Amino acid sequence: MADMFTIASKEFSDIVRGKRFIILVVAFGLIVAAAIATVYINVTEVLRGFGVAMPRGFLGIAAYTLVTTMSYLAPIVGLALGCDAISGEREKGTLKVVLAQPVFRDAIINGKFLAALLATSLAITVATAVGIGGSVLALGVTPTLEDAARLLIFILFSVLLAMTYYGMAVLLSTVSKRTTQSVILGVFIWAVFTFVVPIVASTVAAALVPIQFRPRLVNATIPGQNATRPSQRELEVYTEALRKRASIQEAINSVTPNYHLTKIAQYVLNIYVGMAAGFGIGGARQGQASVTSKSITESLVQAWPNILVLSLATVLAFIASYIFFTRQEVR
Amino acid sequence: MSYAVEAKELTKVYRSEGDRVVAVDRLTMTVNKGTVFGLLGPNGAGKTTFISMLVGLALPTSGSASVLGHDIVRDSIAIRKRVGLLPEGFGFYDHLTARQNLRYIATLNDIPRGEIDDRVAKVLEQVELKDVADRKVGGFSRGMKQRLAVAQALIKDPELLIFDEPTAGLDPEGARAFRETVLALNKEGKTVILSTHLLFEVGPLCDSVAVINRGRLVVQGRVRELIERMMAEQGYRIVAKGVGDLVAFSERLRGIEGVREVKLQDGKITVEASSDVRVDISRLASSCGVELVVLDVLEPSLEDLFMNYYRREGISYG
Repeated sequence: MADMFTIASKEFSDIVRGKRFIILVVAFGLIVAAAIATVYINVTEVLRGFGVAMPRGFLGIAAYTLVTTMSYLAPIVGLALGCDAISGEREKGTLKVVLAQPVFRDAIINGKFLAALLATSLAITVATAVGIGGSVLALGVTPTLEDAARLLIFILFSVLLAMTYYGMAVLLSTVSKRTTQSVILGVFIWAVFTFVVPIVASTVAAALVPIQFRPRLVNATIPGQNATRPSQRELEVYTEALRKRASIQEAINSVTPNYHLTKIAQYVLNIYVGMAAGFGIGGARQGQASVTSKSITESLVQAWPNILVLSLATVLAFIASYIFFTRQEVR
Repeated sequence: MSYAVEAKELTKVYRSEGDRVVAVDRLTMTVNKGTVFGLLGPNGAGKTTFISMLVGLALPTSGSASVLGHDIVRDSIAIRKRVGLLPEGFGFYDHLTARQNLRYIATLNDIPRGEIDDRVAKVLEQVELKDVADRKVGGFSRGMKQRLAVAQALIKDPELLIFDEPTAGLDPEGARAFRETVLALNKEGKTVILSTHLLFEVGPLCDSVAVINRGRLVVQGRVRELIERMMAEQGYRIVAKGVGDLVAFSERLRGIEGVREVKLQDGKITVEASSDVRVDISRLASSCGVELVVLDVLEPSLEDLFMNYYRREGISYG
């Protein structure tokens, strides 16, 4: 145990003092702040055009952007910290030096994971705090205590997502001969999970569930536009097709860890509740029934399958790196 | 005498790019405690793989070995507590200072916190890096890094030190300083294993050597014994200088039993014989009226010795 903490302490110190970490935190914070501000400003303009007031709930607007940004950036934090965890030490020759000391290999991998967990938590918390804090100051929308609690829970699961990718990165770093190879593979996996799978999901869904009828939505409040409203039956068929597509997309997207964070966030941050409160509409996927405010505990219960999958993905990535590393020979 | 290292039929086979590579092939050898032992062989001979197995970095495919009485598979941690390794190419955290690097290694060796600073200061002084202790290692020269690597191996006060290619890339001054360090450590009673292909730099330090090639042991023994064995196998070279009719004397030398070749050049006679024929030469000189002033056996140098084994194995040394 002492070895693990010795290694964790040195690793954590190396990470947080490194330029890479500082750049990540600053870039992350700026992107979160900019994304929230941009969305907020655009939405404000649209709402003003319709004469609708801004949603009162802070998370309604901020959270949606935060979740999207986080699902892109948290994996990058994990990958950036893990891509050279083992291969970098191998290249520097320090792996051999450390392994030649009376240290169990599991202490090395555990120490690295512990340090990464702390550093990732720090990076994501600081970046989110900077982003949200900046938005609060700039836009004058103050989160409630419950908002803050929900944000903290969301940060916790974002760290879990980052650690899933960290686990994958450590695994790649263990099996790759060079750090560059592990970085390329890491970026490839990130791109597949973040862009390719969602595109494939939507293409497959569109191919499997073709939509014959598309209702023309018109704004009856604009003079001169004569709305030809679709029949109830047409709307039902259309809604059913959309629902089928969504379920196919979700089934395919569920292979990615990012999807599970998004789902957890939907429940925990009450995104659709906030959106509905602001815009007076129901969530596109969840329907009217889910646009009811739930307590934090209820939200967590609702999200448990996704929490389980994300946790399992992290544990599996950790175990795989652990197995490969402990069996690997260093000549 | 007890052994610091004892290997029996130790074998390591691994896969590289789909090929089966026998890195160490049924290697049986011993290293006596308290000696300086040279593990010699060309690049790719299997020296580093052998060392890796000794300190638990790689597992043997078959065979067994013990280091300081501990089995290399079962008691690897116990071995690593008592063995200091200087790996080939060294290995440091360049962003940390020399002192920080050593402190980290000391902590991993469970050296009590209260003792770490003293221990670090002691080894830094031992390798003459005290003045640069708080400089980042990234800025160190190769010679300084090599000395720091020795300090890293010494921090746990090990009984056995294993230096893998320690003088590679060092300038002559650095190599000399390293040799002095090894001798000093050996005087303290530590066993030192020097693994190298640069045999001429460390060969003279060694009490015993083992030459390995393609993972197999070519020869092992005390340097003195190996030289005598080589002379017995390859014959003796005897040099004679004297006053008198050296031409006639040279001709008559060919008649001595066992003499293969006689050369006379610039007043020096070189005799190649299958045995030590100095007594016969001396007698013949008296009968020929030649007064000998020099009559010596030319012993092969370490270079001759190793090149002999290398030639036999078809090793091209570069």
